[in-house]
Amino acid sequence: MNAGDDSAGGPSDSPTRAEPFPYGILGVDLARIVRSIPADEPPPLAPNAELAIIGRSATRLDARDKVTGASRFTVDVGLPGMLHGRILRSRFAHARIRSIDASAALRAPGVRAVEVLAQPTAPHGSNASTVRYVGQPLAAVAADSLAAVEEALQRIEVDYEPLPFVVDLATARRPTAPPVYTADDAPRGSASGYPAPAGLPLHGNVRGPAIVDRGDVARGFADADVEVESDYATQVQTHCCLEPHAIVADWRADGLTVHVSTQYTSGVRHELAEAFGLPLAAVRVIAKAIGGGFGSKSTLGVYGRLAVGLSRQARAPVRIVLDREEEQIDAGNRPSTWQRLRLGARRDGTLTAVRLTSYGSAGVGLGAGVWSLAERLYPCANFLGEQHDVFTNAGAGCAMRGPGAVPGAWGMEQAVDELAERLGIDPLALRDRIDPSPVRREERRIGAQRSGWFERRPPAADPGPIKRGIGCAQSLWMTNVQLNAACEVRVHRDGSVEVFSGVQDIGTGTGTVMAQVVAEVLGLTPQAITVRIGDTRFPAGPPSYGSRTTASITPPARTAAWHVLQSLFREAAPLLDADPAALFAHEGRIGVRDDPARSIALAQAAARSRTDFVSAVASRADDYAGFDVRMGDAAIARQYLGGVQFATVAVDTETGIVRVERVVAVQDCGRPINPRLIESQVQGGVLMGMSFALFEERLLDRHTGHMVNANLEQYKLAGACETPDIEVIVLENYQANSATDAYGIAEPANIATAPAIANAVYNAIGVRLRSLPITPAAVLAALGKIPSRDAP
Amino acid sequence: MQQSDPSAQFGRSTVTLEVNGTTRVIEVEARTTLAQALRGPLGLTGTKIACDRGACGACTVWLDGSPVCSCMLLAVGVGHRQVTTIEGLATADELHPVQQAFIDEDAVQCGFCTPGMVMSCAALLNDQPDCQPDDVRAAISGNLCRCGTYPHVLAAMHRLRKDPAP
Amino acid sequence: MMKRFAWTTAESPSAAASAASTICAEAMALTDGATDGAIVMAGGIDLLDLMKEGLLAPARLIGLRDIADFGAIDLERDGARLGAGITLAALAADARIRRRYPALAAAAAGAASPQIRNVATLGGNLLQRPRCWYFRSRHHRCLRRGGVHCFAHDGDNRYHAIFDNRRCAIVHPSTLATVLVALGADVQLTDAAGGSRRLPLEVFLTPPAGDLTRENILQPREILHAVHLPPISEGIRMAHSKRGEKDAFDWPLAEVAVVLDLEPGGRCRDAAVILGAAAPAPHRAVNAARQLVGAVIDEKRATAAAAAAIEDATPLADNGHKLPLFEALVRRTIMAAAQGRLEDSILR
Repeated sequence: MNAGDDSAGGPSDSPTRAEPFPYGILGVDLARIVRSIPADEPPPLAPNAELAIIGRSATRLDARDKVTGASRFTVDVGLPGMLHGRILRSRFAHARIRSIDASAALRAPGVRAVEVLAQPTAPHGSNASTVRYVGQPLAAVAADSLAAVEEALQRIEVDYEPLPFVVDLATARRPTAPPVYTADDAPRGSASGYPAPAGLPLHGNVRGPAIVDRGDVARGFADADVEVESDYATQVQTHCCLEPHAIVADWRADGLTVHVSTQYTSGVRHELAEAFGLPLAAVRVIAKAIGGGFGSKSTLGVYGRLAVGLSRQARAPVRIVLDREEEQIDAGNRPSTWQRLRLGARRDGTLTAVRLTSYGSAGVGLGAGVWSLAERLYPCANFLGEQHDVFTNAGAGCAMRGPGAVPGAWGMEQAVDELAERLGIDPLALRDRIDPSPVRREERRIGAQRSGWFERRPPAADPGPIKRGIGCAQSLWMTNVQLNAACEVRVHRDGSVEVFSGVQDIGTGTGTVMAQVVAEVLGLTPQAITVRIGDTRFPAGPPSYGSRTTASITPPARTAAWHVLQSLFREAAPLLDADPAALFAHEGRIGVRDDPARSIALAQAAARSRTDFVSAVASRADDYAGFDVRMGDAAIARQYLGGVQFATVAVDTETGIVRVERVVAVQDCGRPINPRLIESQVQGGVLMGMSFALFEERLLDRHTGHMVNANLEQYKLAGACETPDIEVIVLENYQANSATDAYGIAEPANIATAPAIANAVYNAIGVRLRSLPITPAAVLAALGKIPSRDAP
Repeated sequence: MQQSDPSAQFGRSTVTLEVNGTTRVIEVEARTTLAQALRGPLGLTGTKIACDRGACGACTVWLDGSPVCSCMLLAVGVGHRQVTTIEGLATADELHPVQQAFIDEDAVQCGFCTPGMVMSCAALLNDQPDCQPDDVRAAISGNLCRCGTYPHVLAAMHRLRKDPAP
Repeated sequence: MMKRFAWTTAESPSAAASAASTICAEAMALTDGATDGAIVMAGGIDLLDLMKEGLLAPARLIGLRDIADFGAIDLERDGARLGAGITLAALAADARIRRRYPALAAAAAGAASPQIRNVATLGGNLLQRPRCWYFRSRHHRCLRRGGVHCFAHDGDNRYHAIFDNRRCAIVHPSTLATVLVALGADVQLTDAAGGSRRLPLEVFLTPPAGDLTRENILQPREILHAVHLPPISEGIRMAHSKRGEKDAFDWPLAEVAVVLDLEPGGRCRDAAVILGAAAPAPHRAVNAARQLVGAVIDEKRATAAAAAAIEDATPLADNGHKLPLFEALVRRTIMAAAQGRLEDSILR
């Protein structure tokens, strides 16, 4: 806490104070709880119903710029003297680079800089004398025009010695598979989300297992009355941000400025400072409008470092924008997974044992696990999880909307349905027994009503070729918080307000919810607040990933505004002849709480400021109830996020075509700040989940290692014609944890959709689809309708 | 046939475009797409390039009032047809009704597909003021949105739909 | 980025033909598709795609947009003449076409996306190159691009042909061709001297045996000028259905056009059943038609025809699903035509 006026706030000699907070689920068990909170935190916020701005659907502040084309994305940034850069990439899935000669490129017309990576002495962390996937960067060129760049790239001579390679998960697991790495050069670490010990073994291409062993699964299965065991698989999904990865790097003697399409301005600053040996103070990162991220713009990556390297060489700004093919092959992806789940249960549904084995591939990277959803969603005393990463000759995976949890739910939420059927219990009734979460219990109750669950019929009940069904699945996700998150609020002498943070808005409405929170405190409208974000010159902003942005930045926004307001109250007090503690802010005025007729304009108080503006900076306090986990700047709240989704599908059993007709999504995110923005996020999560379930798949040719659908035509994204009716219901779930008590929503909304659809397909046709995507080919095969053919 | 036309050589040639009601003269290569011409020499960056293959609709502009993918047209081939971009949709002091409805229904997330989406919707509304939800779906079937704004786009268009005269 | 080229326009069909020193297929069989020849371009949707992918690099493009009546629709006493330059959108919207050839208008309305339909032309749709992802990859020089190997055979062939796929397994990409062949359309080709030849589209789409580099018999110095449709007699019924993984803006997994000539009593006098996305050319399901001719069409008859339509199929490793899909779609499309519906719209 670094308030503009250090006497602001409560009794500063006392580190904490006790306050009563709303606590619980609105409509279920909303009550009060007394929390001890840091003294400089603002007082508790009432439930949304009692607030003016928070909990209302304020219009997105940047919507006008977006609908008029005025928003300036990184691809729209042009600087005087700017050069264009592009990257030369490997044509081979695995090769040793015998030599690379860029001298002719350097002499080509218009060329101003060349960076070569594919040498043992390569700069900036990519010692790629061996290339391990098609699309791996080898070199980059900057020139006056893109045409000159392309001609120069063709003059770079690369002498490849092709090596054997493997691109599919199953083949890569075999001991005889071509090794992607040697023991020395393989990345270390573990499967996604698993707190594994360092030094996991590497056998061939298989890293792991990362093990979680709790209780005694053998005993648990011995105690089980019934068991289910099945295998579930998910494909590689690519992020497909509409705005490609893009950067404009401007290296100057007095420092480096980059405009970049990123989910984390502050993180990029750290990356660049480290990679180029610059002080943090000499690096400025700007991201004003970001055309989607979904996890793929969490870090800067090689392309960004190449742009900076080129700019340093050329002493001119350099822009690199990836094309769609590059986006598809080398901008991250959701790793493929295969998992075997075995559940043991008593007749009443009580779980006695859960065993999970997984293998996933993030290509040349790590992090292809199925997270800990199977372990956490339905607590079971006996759990054994063994997760493996498998290296393949493909572009590295990275986080993508609910990483690990999406494939995790794909398995577990089907396995629980399979168990329910084996037990002869309604799938929701089984979850009522084994899921302790009161939030999801309420979400199931609401969703069942809204979705028509009680009219659900037995599998394959429709007589004709078109069969309809309904399915349900649940999600679990972390209530992530970034503690390295700060915000400054300024009220100028004329009463106008500015809010500053480095945080970026990737389309979620971060700036808008910050304005709402500040407006609520100051008694203004969100439109009256000027939000300035996406620039590392402002106070440290949290990343826009892990569904943590709202949870991290809205509390400091409120706290800073509250401190500014206390200063204004002190200015106003003499004018109103009242004690500062007796004042309140409402509709642009400061008034006396017990005598509202006595008031002055907020600007009148602000005008008395000693300096041009009254300012306070606040940072994210710890959750008032403490954290479940804390790792450096990052933490996870005690109560995780839930969500329950219901899908209604129609399946044409003659063509195999599946259409999702309706989805009911019941979600929670703590205190909802802007219902319509939340609805947008949930719809987006559902649609990305549906698109994953039915259409999307990265396809690599096993003989050449090339992605055959590296575009937006054969890599299929759901469009408007495939969009179902989506009903979004958001609970108010007060946890008394921060100045706003808000958490994220983007990822929880994407986790349950695919298994809900699979469970609905099963209910429709009586056959279970355990591999994604659920294409017509997959459905017809599952129905036994594809004639046998000669083995290839 | 103008095989001997000296302007038809590899270098840059002068092209006259009618953009947003204004005549603009620019120097481009024959290979310059309309999208590149708009974003480059004409400085109209509201038109986006996301796939550069006509597969996503982010570059949607109007040619004589009909939506087209400007990434799949050559600037030299546009001729006398009127080009309308997102910058030409609103007047100085008034948004196009589709733009206002997009704001009101939050039919916008990251905003990168939005200019193209707006252009497709506004063209539909011009042609078919009584458009039904399925007409909207069909009209934006060439506009991909990764954020998933389609439901709110449908809501925005529902708000604008004029019921046919009885 | 496309390679540089020169741009000119032609104002008459013969001028265009005279300038068209090469054709796309000829150029694409060369390394990098680089040719010093000139290629004609109408809407350009496919050509620009190929050029951007680095598969085609002509020295010159000749724009056809200025040719008068290239985009005209003329209803003739004995049928219709469609200028090859008509856009798919115009074809879909034309009230006369919708009335007389409803399946054609519907097929045009369902192709690609609104933005593409406003630019793409009838001629371009018929002449577009296949969508096989190996053919479309500069990293895979396949048989059809003058190479020695079909990558689809041992690669991923889920979208490939189930008929006539022994050497090259492309499917013909034109949705309009499927309907036009079913309707018995002709094409009119015009040469540099202004002379024209007219031949059945089905013949036009049959390249010489063994020539895998092209999908039609268009020659250099020749342009596809128009499509002629036969008249529609009283008993003609037509329907067109397609299914892709997505409902819109997706390439079909299976596509069927059916044209029936029914006697007043309902007996089928003649029938055409054409499968699209099935073979390197629109595939005439002769045995299916044979099941229909002479019969009153009912579900049982349609089912028999559907089974006959796929009996000679030779699916590849990944595309066996096309068989049940086609079987269902053939049956439904026959029934739709017989019952006077435009398409099988079940779950679409």
